Amino acid sequence: MSAAARYGVGHTAEPRGWTAAESWLPTLALAVLVVALWEATIRLFNVSSYIVPAPSAIVVAMIREAWPLAAAAVVTAKEILVGFLAAAVVGIALALIVARFRLFGRALYPLIVLFQNVPKVALAPIFILWFGYDLAPKVGLIVVIAFFPVTLSILTGIEAVEPSLIALMRSVGAGPNEILTKIQMPHALPNLMAGLKIAATFSVIGAIVGEFAGASAGLGYIIQFASTQLDTALVFAALIVVSVVGVGFYYLVEYLERLVVPWAPKFNRP
Amino acid sequence: MSKVRDLTAPAGAMPLVEAENVSVELGQDAKRQVVLQNVNLAVPEGAFVSLIGPSGCGKSTLLKALAGLVQPASGSVRVGGLPPHEAARRRQIGLIFQDSNLLPWKNALENAAMLRGVADKAMPRAELRDRASAMLDLVGLKDAAMKRPAELSGGMRQRVAIARALTLDPAVLLMDEPFGALDAITREAMSQSLLEIWERTRKTIVLVTHSIDEAIYLSSEVHALGAGPGRIIDTLTIPLPYPRGEATYDHPRFAEMERRLRALLRRGHRREGPR
Repeated sequence: MSAAARYGVGHTAEPRGWTAAESWLPTLALAVLVVALWEATIRLFNVSSYIVPAPSAIVVAMIREAWPLAAAAVVTAKEILVGFLAAAVVGIALALIVARFRLFGRALYPLIVLFQNVPKVALAPIFILWFGYDLAPKVGLIVVIAFFPVTLSILTGIEAVEPSLIALMRSVGAGPNEILTKIQMPHALPNLMAGLKIAATFSVIGAIVGEFAGASAGLGYIIQFASTQLDTALVFAALIVVSVVGVGFYYLVEYLERLVVPWAPKFNRP
Repeated sequence: MSKVRDLTAPAGAMPLVEAENVSVELGQDAKRQVVLQNVNLAVPEGAFVSLIGPSGCGKSTLLKALAGLVQPASGSVRVGGLPPHEAARRRQIGLIFQDSNLLPWKNALENAAMLRGVADKAMPRAELRDRASAMLDLVGLKDAAMKRPAELSGGMRQRVAIARALTLDPAVLLMDEPFGALDAITREAMSQSLLEIWERTRKTIVLVTHSIDEAIYLSSEVHALGAGPGRIIDTLTIPLPYPRGEATYDHPRFAEMERRLRALLRRGHRREGPR
């Protein structure tokens, strides 16, 4: 530990001298404390497990239903992955269209913003009606929920390009396609990665909502099914699995960010 | 106005960069404003010319007009006898702004090669690389070729921008306050480097600056601009001998030039009046 960190005068809240274990330790301790309090409260006041299950009951449910939960996690993870990729493709394509074709973009962009304000969760039943009960309606729902942060982030990045750099490119005869591919698109990559991280968390929401609206498999299906059986412990167990899948997915995208844009300003601060 | 084109001069003495009665208006409709009025400017080949003036006098706009980035409302601009956008397309104009405008995902060498690569697609890659590398060497960044902009200081980034312009092999370098964002010590080092680059490459340079010292130290000729509307008030020929260096600041005529330029600019400023 450096002197600055020891005396708390470092420029970051979390002193850099700390090892990973040390910086996780307070969080872990707090979590253990909360779980212990939870368990104690349930036992002390004799709360029925169908209202709030004790952590131990959740663990038991998780072990009991390990295989169904794992199978459901695979189904949901697949929906998230396919939906996320589709949302990324749609989001990127829309951004490039708006950026490249000024006039069409000016017409299209307000419509995208308008659509963004439709409560898209409400579209889930319609998608079930159109696409059935399998993967397709979930992917559709994830696309409409998650494409917007992708589109918006790319456009923000493209607009942030210095006008003098564009002028420089134009002056030597570069056309709009060359400026888009050589300057604007790479320039917007860090923004795109930030947008994809938001899209990743939205994708999890989209998959679960899609399964709520109609599904025969998946973690959302288990949550709904278990709650009708008053098996609240299983609901919580499934929730934990969803969260783990979501967090894993998020960090996957964050890991990709380091690979794709190691030059991004956020990685190069002194 | 001392630099009116001499029509009796032989064709070979044609200035490389020339503005004739250039007026520029910017803004839309009611906000339309005359930024430059009847500016005449002639920059001989190989000269180092500075444009100096207070903020808002239109010196940057004049440079942009010379570069073809701003269209004059009336009058004409010629660079090497061509309209400026045409000259730029033929790689005759090297532009350097206050912002180095480097691409953060490319290293110094790739940045130096970038514009030439866009402008001159027929150039073989190896040749482009060699040229960019030689220009990085010229600006003193031989050892930083593989570094990305984030790893370079502000002064070094500006050096890469100069190398990028030189890789085009232009006839003229148009520089818009290239050292404006740098600290005083870096500025002086950059001025010295720029002089050396100019002496070695013999490129014509037009420099926009708001530093009186910098203008006198570097240029063979200084055009002082006044505001409201922007115009050239007067032109000073700087009689200090090249090559210039530390001793130039101590030259007795340096202080005299400084005094004269300061008086000129004050006069131009006073005439600006309330807005």
